Amino acid sequence: MNPKRRQKIVFSLLFISSLLVITPIFLIFFFIFKEGIKVISWEFLTTSPARMGGGGVFPAIVGTLYLTLGTVLISVPLGVLAGIYLSEYAKENLLTRLVKLAIINLAGVPSIVYGLFGLGLFVIFLRFGASLLSGCFTLSIMVLPIVITATKEALNNVPQSFREVSLSLGATKWQTIRYCVLPYAFGGILTGVILSIGRASGETAPILFTAAAFYLPHLPRSIFDQVMALPYHLYVVATQVPGVERRVSYGICLVLVVLVILIDLIALITRYQIRKKKLW
Amino acid sequence: MKIKIAWVSIICFFLSINFSYAQGRRVLQIKGSDTMVNLVQAWAEEFMKKNPSASIAVTGGGSGVGIASLINKTCDIAESSRKMKLKEIELAKSKGVEPKEFIVGYDGLAVVVHPSNPVDKLTFSQLSDIFTGKIKNWKELGGRGAKIVLLSREVNSGTHIFFKEQVLRRGDEKSKAEFAPAALLIPSSQAIADEIAQNPQAIGYYGIGYVSEKQKAVAVARDDESPYVKPTLETVMDKSYAIWRPLFFYTDGQPTGLIKEFIDFVLSDDGQKIVKELDFVPLRIIE
Repeated sequence: MNPKRRQKIVFSLLFISSLLVITPIFLIFFFIFKEGIKVISWEFLTTSPARMGGGGVFPAIVGTLYLTLGTVLISVPLGVLAGIYLSEYAKENLLTRLVKLAIINLAGVPSIVYGLFGLGLFVIFLRFGASLLSGCFTLSIMVLPIVITATKEALNNVPQSFREVSLSLGATKWQTIRYCVLPYAFGGILTGVILSIGRASGETAPILFTAAAFYLPHLPRSIFDQVMALPYHLYVVATQVPGVERRVSYGICLVLVVLVILIDLIALITRYQIRKKKLW
Repeated sequence: MKIKIAWVSIICFFLSINFSYAQGRRVLQIKGSDTMVNLVQAWAEEFMKKNPSASIAVTGGGSGVGIASLINKTCDIAESSRKMKLKEIELAKSKGVEPKEFIVGYDGLAVVVHPSNPVDKLTFSQLSDIFTGKIKNWKELGGRGAKIVLLSREVNSGTHIFFKEQVLRRGDEKSKAEFAPAALLIPSSQAIADEIAQNPQAIGYYGIGYVSEKQKAVAVARDDESPYVKPTLETVMDKSYAIWRPLFFYTDGQPTGLIKEFIDFVLSDDGQKIVKELDFVPLRIIE
């Protein structure tokens, strides 16, 4: 076989492989949209569920928004601070290595384990009960590694010369980080936030025991209330309730996907605005 | 700058949603049986229609989960499709919880097969042999020559425990009969129903409310002399059908306030009508 021909074969193989990656995504969106759009109506989006499977999903939408927002509020400050410390301050010693190991391991823990951990620590031991607060904390622990890793990566990508110049002009280390490193790492950090939003809003297992209610038609009034959440609502409607039409499940799915995309969009636009200001 | 305004307005939006709902309403937490969760949801919905100020959260997870959270004081009412075990009552008392029991309805358990399955009646001892794995082929029961696929709820389920005690062990407390290891443990009644609908070899059990035309409920006889009875609302109510169970609410001590109001509603004629609507069996006949 001549090299040219071989080249062609390899290229087409590579092309087909990358095509295979987008096919599932395309199919998922296609089916969710095709089936789900049938049940979407103003009423579906703004009313409470009635006789499980009927009615709307409003409390679940709001619940998911709260859970996601709460998770971001807790995990982002914590994760960014930890990321800055690990990337800028930490010396290469046993403790640092342990922390890094812990982060890698946290990222690999199955989500149901976080759920049980949250049940033990927040719900029972700290007496938060099954509540928004417990759910947000549990989800925060789950997404923390994503935020920390993204922050570390983003800080590492800021050229070393930025720090050198700043330090050589007599700035302190904190001043350097605050004014010469962080602003340029912001975009990368936001990428981590976007990823964690996707993860937090879509997970069922961590909120199963810590926050989610099967049915709760009112919106939460305090952080100690339970909430309905779209992924859990989808799970119960699809598996627990007899005689629900399939398309209702698809409808909930569609709402969840669109919601995540919308939240991500806000973060994406923020990142775009910040990147525009970048001077290099 | 624009971005900052956008963020601030988003946060304000959330706060305003919260404050607009910030009235001093208490949330009633009801947790437990997956079998009852749809029923309790319907009760909660009707109750809240009548008492717009009340707020009720319903969560599933299984009877065991409900009882555990009553003991941990993380719920106000535990829904359970089985009686609390002595051990659980002792544990509750040691933690200062006084479980009080209410029977809120009945549930007939149907034994279900694929509609194309020629087998349509079974005795208790046959059922016991099927689910413990002694009878492995439909041929032994007069059906087609095919392996029996056993479907069961998982061990946390009140339905699982009830079926084991009443059918596999036939009410004998000393019996050690267990589900065959080959039995598939499935997390919800609806999932068993879906599986039965597509698998002609499968047999499973669940509340009569989950039976549709896609499955066939077999007639059951207590022993060889008794008549075979099909599970319906009427046969469960007059107790001629053998596999039925009470559905329970457990509260911590004598219920008061909102908890009492809710239980009163559940036991009222209006509440019991809903039991019938959801294909469970009401406590009494309601015109």
